Amino acid sequence: VYIKGKAWTFGRNVNTDLIFPKMWFRPTYESGEMASHLMVGIDEEFPRRVSRGDVIVGGQNFGCGSSREEAAAAMKEAGIAAVVAPTFGRLFTRNAINVGLPIVTSPRIDEEIAQGDVIEIDLVQGVLRNLRSGYAVRLPPMAPESLRLIEDGGIAAYTRRVLEERRRAKA
Amino acid sequence: MHAIAKIIARHADRQGVEVGEIVNVVPDFVMLNDRGAARASDLLRKMGGEKVFDPDRIVVVFDHHYPPIRQQDSVSQKKTREWIKEQGIAKFHAGEGIGHVIFPEKGYAFPGALIFGTDSHTVTNSALGCVATGMGHSDIASYLAIGYNWLKVPEVIRFDLHGDFRPGVYAKDIALRIAQLYGEDAAPYLGVEFAGPLVARMPVSERLVLCNMVIDFGAKTGYIQPDETTARWMAQRAPDRRWMPETTDSDSDYGRIIDLDVSAIEPLVAVPHDLSTVRSDADLGDVRIDEAIFGTCTGGRIDDFRVAAALMKGRKLAPHTRMMVNPGSRETYVQAMHEGLIDIMVEAGATIGVPGCGPCSGCHQGMLAPAENAITNASRNFRGRFGSPDANAYVASSATVAASAIAGRIVSPAEPPAH
Repeated sequence: VYIKGKAWTFGRNVNTDLIFPKMWFRPTYESGEMASHLMVGIDEEFPRRVSRGDVIVGGQNFGCGSSREEAAAAMKEAGIAAVVAPTFGRLFTRNAINVGLPIVTSPRIDEEIAQGDVIEIDLVQGVLRNLRSGYAVRLPPMAPESLRLIEDGGIAAYTRRVLEERRRAKA
Repeated sequence: MHAIAKIIARHADRQGVEVGEIVNVVPDFVMLNDRGAARASDLLRKMGGEKVFDPDRIVVVFDHHYPPIRQQDSVSQKKTREWIKEQGIAKFHAGEGIGHVIFPEKGYAFPGALIFGTDSHTVTNSALGCVATGMGHSDIASYLAIGYNWLKVPEVIRFDLHGDFRPGVYAKDIALRIAQLYGEDAAPYLGVEFAGPLVARMPVSERLVLCNMVIDFGAKTGYIQPDETTARWMAQRAPDRRWMPETTDSDSDYGRIIDLDVSAIEPLVAVPHDLSTVRSDADLGDVRIDEAIFGTCTGGRIDDFRVAAALMKGRKLAPHTRMMVNPGSRETYVQAMHEGLIDIMVEAGATIGVPGCGPCSGCHQGMLAPAENAITNASRNFRGRFGSPDANAYVASSATVAASAIAGRIVSPAEPPAH
């Protein structure tokens, strides 16, 4: 999986209440609706300013707090190519993998990327480069299970396949 | 192996597992709240699933948006009721309180169990010596479809708590002290165990508060080794439930062991807008309180009501202060009525709401206006959580919240002023 995109930087301990405030919770969402509320707890203009293919860069413990999947799903829907931080909240990590959003962990990466930098990520080779500064870093290998889920397009595709295999086994 | 690893191994049908290993597990119970049931049932269909894998393991709780105030929630809850019937899900609780309060009360949480829930505070249950963790809606929908989901076996850190509480100090203050010392990412992806002589003396209600807060240190689950207190709780709550606790082999099964003497801890308050800045009441200066928000899965149990009512008895809320109270469960509500605690709070000027998440669910009564200050015994003070993003929320113990509601500003419960 190869990614090249413009970075949007955020701080430490950005919780999912900020990424997707609960005032926008709905039992079901229209197409594009979740993306239209992405990051509005921090920047109300963000959904209009961000472009497909951009990369979100957070500080330590990015996506902490509530389990709301909308935080990761809104990024996926907005076309965010990857989300990068030194560490992530556990629930956000799971949700990102499940919706097929590439999630990249690298120590002190928030100090190496500035707003607007162009970032290149090769998930298979495990390399991240900052094309402005020339900074390059090897990424810790993703668990093969997680990488497969992302390549599959998320947990929905995985589940569909398991169900299909079970149906075939029965038939 | 740590008890947490053994519990995961048992639910993965494995003899042993290693820390860091990813295994597929079958949980004992899965909690879907109103939001979770609506989203997960929808996602289940989109994943091509028709029937849930095992309806007996599913517990549906309406707690966030119940009773609904938006028509979209009424419609969605009607659909969920129909879905539950269709799927043969018998364990359904609407208006009975918050999932994480009901689960221990009704014996859905038990020693040695593995519990999933569509909510981050599912970790609360781990106080009974089980593994309990939150998941996203797609994660849960996938479980509903295929009957298992993956878990990574976490490293575990242990806090050994000892010493004696100062007056006005509670388990909540210990949790805030840990946030103060180690930050909101004290335990990323880890299991957090509480042990030591202080925990041995703690009632289940205080243990639940400790484990409730581990999610806000980044943890996957809490853990407290089941003991006689746990066994008594289970005997009262769920005498028919068969349960088997696990035990940890040795101290080498911990990534880290941290000693914490609580004797030095004062009543603490987390200041807006996260848990990383914690101060003692005395250091805060004069913080005017417009609203006290009392209840939630952190502070909505009967012991919280007892502590608050003792401080509020015969007193009135400060004239500029309002207080929103939501019992954590219907059982708590009834018990608090029987003990006269509700009378005390209402006579003091508090408003009693429905058992459930209350304003902490973000769309119920008691929302804050811009520039207002609130103090709450909930777990989080995130920006915008209780209404306006320009309001300020302070997190503290039930005692500090009650004392501050009377004083109209943040005060230590150790010295409540007469009002």
